[in-house]
Amino acid sequence: MADALMAKAAFYDLDGTLLSCNLVTMHAYYARNDRSLLKSIYQFTKVLLSVPLLFGLDLYSRSLFNIFSFRAYRGMHRDRLIGLSDDLFEVTLKPSIFPKAQVLIDTTRDLGYRNVLVTGTLDFQIRPVALHFGFEEVICNRLEFKDHVATGRVLPPLLAEKEKAHSIRAYAGQEGIDLAQSCAFSDSSSDVPMLSAVGHPVATNPTRRLRRIALERNWPILELRENSSTFPPFLKTVKAL
Amino acid sequence: MESRTTWRWNPVEGEYESGDPPAMQGTGEISAIEALSNKTIFLLGGTGFVGKVFLALILDRFPELKHLVIQARRKKNVSGEQRFYSEVLTSPPLQPIIHRAGGERVIRQKVQVVEGDLDQPLCGISPEDLERLKGKVDIVVNLAGVVDFDPPVNESVEPNVYGTQHIIELVQLLNAKLVHVSTAYVAGKKNGRISEDTAIPGYFPRRDEPGNNGMREEFSVAEELKWYEQFVEETRSTRATNPRPVRERLRAGGMNRAEHWGWTNTYTYTKSMGEQLIAATPGLAYAIVRPAIVESSLRFPFPGWNEGFTTSAPLVLMGGEGVKGWPVRKDGPLEIIPVDLVAAGILIVTAAVLCGKNKRVYHLASADENPIMLPRLVAFLGMNSRYKHKHKTSGSKLANAWKAYVETQVITVESLQARRARLHRGLDVIHATLTLGKTILGARKIDPYLKSLRDTRRQIRQQEITLDKFLPFMFHNSFIFETRNIQETARMLTNEDLKRIRWDPQTIDWADYWVNIHTKGIEKWIRPVFTASRHK
Repeated sequence: MADALMAKAAFYDLDGTLLSCNLVTMHAYYARNDRSLLKSIYQFTKVLLSVPLLFGLDLYSRSLFNIFSFRAYRGMHRDRLIGLSDDLFEVTLKPSIFPKAQVLIDTTRDLGYRNVLVTGTLDFQIRPVALHFGFEEVICNRLEFKDHVATGRVLPPLLAEKEKAHSIRAYAGQEGIDLAQSCAFSDSSSDVPMLSAVGHPVATNPTRRLRRIALERNWPILELRENSSTFPPFLKTVKAL
Repeated sequence: MESRTTWRWNPVEGEYESGDPPAMQGTGEISAIEALSNKTIFLLGGTGFVGKVFLALILDRFPELKHLVIQARRKKNVSGEQRFYSEVLTSPPLQPIIHRAGGERVIRQKVQVVEGDLDQPLCGISPEDLERLKGKVDIVVNLAGVVDFDPPVNESVEPNVYGTQHIIELVQLLNAKLVHVSTAYVAGKKNGRISEDTAIPGYFPRRDEPGNNGMREEFSVAEELKWYEQFVEETRSTRATNPRPVRERLRAGGMNRAEHWGWTNTYTYTKSMGEQLIAATPGLAYAIVRPAIVESSLRFPFPGWNEGFTTSAPLVLMGGEGVKGWPVRKDGPLEIIPVDLVAAGILIVTAAVLCGKNKRVYHLASADENPIMLPRLVAFLGMNSRYKHKHKTSGSKLANAWKAYVETQVITVESLQARRARLHRGLDVIHATLTLGKTILGARKIDPYLKSLRDTRRQIRQQEITLDKFLPFMFHNSFIFETRNIQETARMLTNEDLKRIRWDPQTIDWADYWVNIHTKGIEKWIRPVFTASRHK
């Protein structure tokens, strides 16, 4: 009986799951919008040159990819990162939102799930996204600052791979969430630990590797990029009830 | 949106700290709950920006309060009571509070509205109302007054000086205590740390400087009011012979007089005189609260509430219109404080006065604990302009691109004057060209351009006037108002009080506040009013 009364949550990854942007495109925005044209060109060139390395790192380890991509923020003032976040959202993030992302989020909310965004993206980038989608709770990464200036390091714990699973378990413990009744949505095989931690994992716009894992484990696959895609049965069934 | 993290931003150090925030512990020497229980507060100025938030805070957090008597002025055919229920209670900061409290019926049981006018003796309260209130009011909280920087001198002296005299008489008649809200800028043209301990009677900012004849001058409110009466009478009597409008001469007269004594404007000059009347009244139990520049709410009743043009709103709106050069001190803070912290501060002082454990003067400001330096604000104004003009679909594309991508700059006043001169020379050349074109091509073709030029000139002139008004606070002077008294008094509260009201400017994340709360609040609540007033 007590279990039946426990709350449930829907945990969402962001990049690749709800929108097509990633950490590199977000940093590229800040690089393009430095204080002067020359600085912008210099910073943007640095981002372009780092793309092959970042691509390789992402294939090897999402944590290493995150650590390396956050280093690009070294020397940036926090005021500027926060001050440009709305523009970042309008210019870069909003146009890349998948057609059915909002419908999915609204559906899980209507079905009584607490929507939680669990993402490796940085806090100042998340705010307008969370407000746009109506997320009330966010678990995300934070940069380290000294005297308001980014050091290029991320504050521990680095939210990626297994750490996402740890975070949602800790969150569930604090909030009385039943993970067996909860669901999670992600596009990446690096989020398999998070997906495995809940009763209803959904491979959402999955990468080739995650698609293979999902098929092996009989997880539903959802394409938010396509308007014609249908939601997994557990969302429909609960709605029908 | 709640971000779940164990990291906490330390705005003073500019870095994240781990762990839970230090629990706020009060010594319990003052219990605000007990102090306000079964008490009656008489509130003057409850219809203004600070007044509404104060009203909302006390109704929301201290249900123990017995009665709240609110003075409201009649406006033409609308009675004070009607105005209170139709304008104040329905305003955005009070709506959620009234709903939470159980509706207007519950409020009517607690609130009594009396009609009055600060310009009249005993604040214009009827003898019947006075008789009813005698012996029943514990404390008068005065938030009333005119806050325009440079109105005609009579429009400032009447409410801020004579009005304060009327309040003193009312407080004495009711045998109550007084919390009087003034401004931190009564300090005048000063620099550095401004103490709360400076003696009030006879104060004027230039008192340490020798006067014109080498002798030290002395300031007396009585003498000053004699000057005022004479000046106003002379100005009005020369209406027929002097071509300058009376109103303009009264405005200039007030500013010149304030300047003579060392105050920044007529507002601070008259507010200081009001304080001096209170401090010189024997036997009066009082405290004076001096907020700095009051800005959008941080948390209560909701983040970003703002009203009117008396905050930094004109500057934010100007920044949003693409002003690039800002004359500010590179090493100076802007002394701003969110309105909900001001309301909390006034409540804390009210409790302290009721307990008889108050100090005489309380600064409510932020720079003493958590300064926001002016160049940071200039950068925020630039980023807001970038956002607005990048996404603007109307107007010239070239102008929008310029306003979006050219960064704001910190400049000197000399540089500002030079820029203005260049700009006006350029506009003169355009005007001359258009006038010539009118004679050649005809009025029908050229008049729309001339009208557009006139509108641009008017807008630029308005921006120049606004900026000049703020120069004493951004460039000519650099203030840090000491806030030791409110910090100490807040620490004297009980832990239960501290769950209801907080004085915590040291926790304000200025970047988040300015970008996500204050600027958005101004865009939401002030810009529509500003735009409508400009189109009238």
